[in-house]
Amino acid sequence: MSDIKANIDKDELLLEVTDLKKYYPVRSGLIRKSKGWVKAVDGVSLFVKKGETLGLVGESGCGKTTAGRTILRLLDPTGGEIKFNDPKQGWVHLEKMDRKQLSTVRSNMQIIFQDPFSSLDPRMTVERIIAEPLVINKMARGSELHDLITQLMKTVGMRPEFRSRYPHAFSGGQRQRIGIARALALNPKLVICDEPVSALDVSIQAQVLNLLEDLQRDLNLTYIFVAHDLSVVEHISDRVAVMYVGRLVELAATDELYYSPRHPYTEALMAAVPKPDPRRRDRPIKLPGEVASPANPPSGCYFHPRCRYVKDICSQETPPFVEVEPLHFSACHFANELKLRGVIG
Amino acid sequence: MNQIIGSVNESAASIFEGEEIILKVRDLHTYFYTDIGVARALNGVSFDIPRGKVMGMVGESGCGKSVTALSIMRMVTKPGRIVKGEITYYRKQKGQKESNTEIIEEIDLTKLKGMGPEMRSIRGAEMSMIFQEPMTSLNPSYTIGDQIMEAILLHQGVDKDEALKRAIDILNGVGMANPALVVKRYPHELSGGMRQRAMISLALSCTPSILFADEPTTALDVTTEAQILDLMRDLQTRISMTIVFITHNLGVVAQMCDYVTVMYLGRVVEQATVDDIYYNPKHPYTSALLRSIPHVGSRQKDRLQPISGVVPDPYSAIKGCPFHPRCPQVIRGKCDVDVPGLTMVGKSHTVRCFLHSDTVEVESDVRH
Repeated sequence: MSDIKANIDKDELLLEVTDLKKYYPVRSGLIRKSKGWVKAVDGVSLFVKKGETLGLVGESGCGKTTAGRTILRLLDPTGGEIKFNDPKQGWVHLEKMDRKQLSTVRSNMQIIFQDPFSSLDPRMTVERIIAEPLVINKMARGSELHDLITQLMKTVGMRPEFRSRYPHAFSGGQRQRIGIARALALNPKLVICDEPVSALDVSIQAQVLNLLEDLQRDLNLTYIFVAHDLSVVEHISDRVAVMYVGRLVELAATDELYYSPRHPYTEALMAAVPKPDPRRRDRPIKLPGEVASPANPPSGCYFHPRCRYVKDICSQETPPFVEVEPLHFSACHFANELKLRGVIG
Repeated sequence: MNQIIGSVNESAASIFEGEEIILKVRDLHTYFYTDIGVARALNGVSFDIPRGKVMGMVGESGCGKSVTALSIMRMVTKPGRIVKGEITYYRKQKGQKESNTEIIEEIDLTKLKGMGPEMRSIRGAEMSMIFQEPMTSLNPSYTIGDQIMEAILLHQGVDKDEALKRAIDILNGVGMANPALVVKRYPHELSGGMRQRAMISLALSCTPSILFADEPTTALDVTTEAQILDLMRDLQTRISMTIVFITHNLGVVAQMCDYVTVMYLGRVVEQATVDDIYYNPKHPYTSALLRSIPHVGSRQKDRLQPISGVVPDPYSAIKGCPFHPRCPQVIRGKCDVDVPGLTMVGKSHTVRCFLHSDTVEVESDVRH
């Protein structure tokens, strides 16, 4: 992964993550002795360009949410580097920062959560929810604060008259708008969207996705879009990273990844998406078994027990995550030999 | 019990040309009498379900998809009640297969007592249901085996050993690994995909004629979803079961269903073959729904076109067509005055919209 930096101007990047690890101990017995590790994130390397949307996809338990939260230092990493290009301080190592230092960059990194029902405090009014980050960071007070909230509510398409209502009075889509307004209050550069539309109805999904796209254009935001819905990710992302059991298996520009994947897991994922077209009924590639457990992963390539192209080497050696084409990365021993099928047959 | 014995052909009169009908729903009203008012969940739902086919029911949350299934299963409980309408179930007599004279029994399910013996003999045995979240619909304090055996013991009159054997067979049939071990497991010991398979086994334990699948794959990952859909497709062809597939995932509908019923605010707005719904939709709501989703593999990066506004709450009564406040093609003075009637617009294609017909629905009075 290190040689890719040669191709990209450092100033164009906003975030660079190298070999990020987040392990959780498995404890048991009376003295809570550690018996092993759940490797939720196990050596993830990626970079994010300014103003782009990087999709991060994978099945439940693959570590995509943990990766997102570790990048923001909402969780402490076990290892690896997280470098962030702060507009004031330049490149900083987030993994080395303490609480106080982090507070100087936090306003530039925000998160939008999946569930608009549990991520808003039911005892706070909309106004207080949106104001909280501004008040904590002493960014505004009094009438200035009032005006800022009015502005933010208008930005996300909410009527400012509703400022003194409580979250329960709003529908799912409206609540997600409140969450977005709160994330944007500090004028961040990087926003991690953690499944922002998966709890919403189809028609409301479209409203929120359009809003996120408009905001990105108007406010020059950079998104890491964590989701499991591949059609939503295709729609919104410039590049997509695919995760499997704590590791990245493929990373490429959206069209390349969807139409000419270079990892068998990506191929299986693409084939599994039900296409909204009754004239294109194809049987998905059968993936036997279940997603491996990050507490007890298989040897070699984690995907090998379910892979239909498996060979001897796959169970013995971990395939490196390498550039198979310019800016197209894959972790498969046979990435250059296999002829894989994309989302269209 | 309203029983009319007739031949297969007599019951075949339906909007679906050449299909035999297993269930006919007419003018179904289900209301919920709550403290804050009457929620009109179903406002005159009418549709047919063809035998041995997969019928998709789509619409946004709150449109009445699940309540329709629950009403048919007679599982609507207080404060909800079926206030009006007919649900005719065409029961094929089992075990009387003397060549051409299959006997079809007509039963109006609304006339039966929800918890009465007739309904209980139908529910679970001839009609069953799969729910979205298997963890909340399986009993956490019984093993998977006990739960499947319960239905078999209740409906099939076999002893415990035979029931256990059948339970293991069914689990095997749905592709569960190690079924002999799984019958001794509790729901929390299984993964999401395995739980959904257990739930399907439970629903299939008495080989029902109709299976209502209420968002059966929404909580699952795509690869697990693909496995479950594949399984349901196999079952459907193997035992020619009628499946009513309730979902808001238009991809799943396109892949799974033969026919589609589109619902909005307690009414059926369009019903047609799956091909007509996707390639020749007639109702503005159906078109809007299709335009609002990102199509995987379309290479289009155009803006999505959301449906403006939200589904109105079911407590408020909307005058005229319930979709008119959000409809881009609304005809003022018409759509906001009368409710359009359900009209045939093609072979096996009905729609409820003034753009296609001037028929007005005669609003029937519902006594509370």
